[in-house]
Amino acid sequence: MNTKKWKNCGLALMMLIIVSCGVSNVVIVGSFPTPNIAKLPIFVAVIYDDALREFSFMEYTETGEEEFNIESGGSHIQLFNAVLPAMFDEVVFVDTIEEVQATGADAIFAPAIEEFQLALPAKTKLDVYEVWIKYNMRLLTAEGDYIADWVLTSYGKTPAETFRSTEAAINDAAIVALRDLASSFSLNFGQVPEVQTWLSNL
Amino acid sequence: MKLYLLIMKHTRLLSASILLTLFVSCTSTTVDEFRQGETGIESDESVVILGRRQASDYETRSEFISCVGEGMNRGENAINVVPEQEFVDAMFPWFEPRTAPLRTQDLERLMAEDVIAEKMNDFGIRYIVWVDGSTVQSGRSGSLTCAVGPGGGGCFGFGTWEDDSNFDARIWDVGGLTSVGTINADATGQSYIPAFFVPIPLIARVEANACQRLANQLKQFVNGS
Repeated sequence: MNTKKWKNCGLALMMLIIVSCGVSNVVIVGSFPTPNIAKLPIFVAVIYDDALREFSFMEYTETGEEEFNIESGGSHIQLFNAVLPAMFDEVVFVDTIEEVQATGADAIFAPAIEEFQLALPAKTKLDVYEVWIKYNMRLLTAEGDYIADWVLTSYGKTPAETFRSTEAAINDAAIVALRDLASSFSLNFGQVPEVQTWLSNL
Repeated sequence: MKLYLLIMKHTRLLSASILLTLFVSCTSTTVDEFRQGETGIESDESVVILGRRQASDYETRSEFISCVGEGMNRGENAINVVPEQEFVDAMFPWFEPRTAPLRTQDLERLMAEDVIAEKMNDFGIRYIVWVDGSTVQSGRSGSLTCAVGPGGGGCFGFGTWEDDSNFDARIWDVGGLTSVGTINADATGQSYIPAFFVPIPLIARVEANACQRLANQLKQFVNGS
């Protein structure tokens, strides 16, 4: 092999080492079915803030280096867009509280992510990838006054498999967690005490 | 001379194949059945096989569920099997890991929901089979070393481990809202990787055997034979 080929090989090897040491970006992608539940007879305006739209979580190695950057804002929006129209009679998506009054909505729904946790088999020594997400669900009047504010946690896991990448496994676990959020949110919304009181006064 | 060489070549190949088969087929499978009620299925009815995913330290793999479904769906007395993901998506959010019915009483409550009863009827579901289990690897021993140098590369050594697959299948009759039986499939096998320049993996098909035996037994059980 001539000198040029050796140099090229060396360069390729260095690139491989650099790439393998960098942070891995995981954009959560999935599809969410529409829930089969009875609709509540209310008109809800939905506000997604920038923190939710652009939500990402950074997982660090045990030595403190950046390992996985998980972007799940887009998939959260996609999930709420599939679930909310199935839960309420009418749903409108707005950017600010000021826009709500013109729509004639009964209430404003504003979800927020409070915490995101990832557990990898290399750290837990279990054969599963796990994702926990903690949410703060807020329901406000059309004027922006408090109706209810409750915490919801969701959990998803997927088994470790020989021929699946860590990125794909993280994505699968996150999708299970998002479906878990959709199921507990859609089935338990009417059972939140403050929501129950508000609904009975409508 | 040519004939002698040809016979020798084929004899070696045959010996290697026999040896390989002996190693590869080193799997034992036990299937236990416990019947609680009468079963039978019409040609327009179907079965759905669902994986239990409530355990914290393992998860019933969806590939295993598909494998059992495919096994029941082919051959003599084949049964219509609704794919797991299609069913779970259509029933969303009632068959998710946290909301799925754990007992037949829960299924009875679920069937009181019109939309669920209607979808169950659309699919023609006669039986729900809940499969719970996993494959565990243990007894890993031996050592295998691979090296690459300017003159070439190779692997040397010997590695071995044991795989144990244990799966429980509980069969619920959707018409009668009762549990009609349980089938357990337990398969164990030893896998080997001898390496002399080239590693030769001799993998025991433990999970595949458990799947095949469970599918056959389920098919017979559901058909009532």
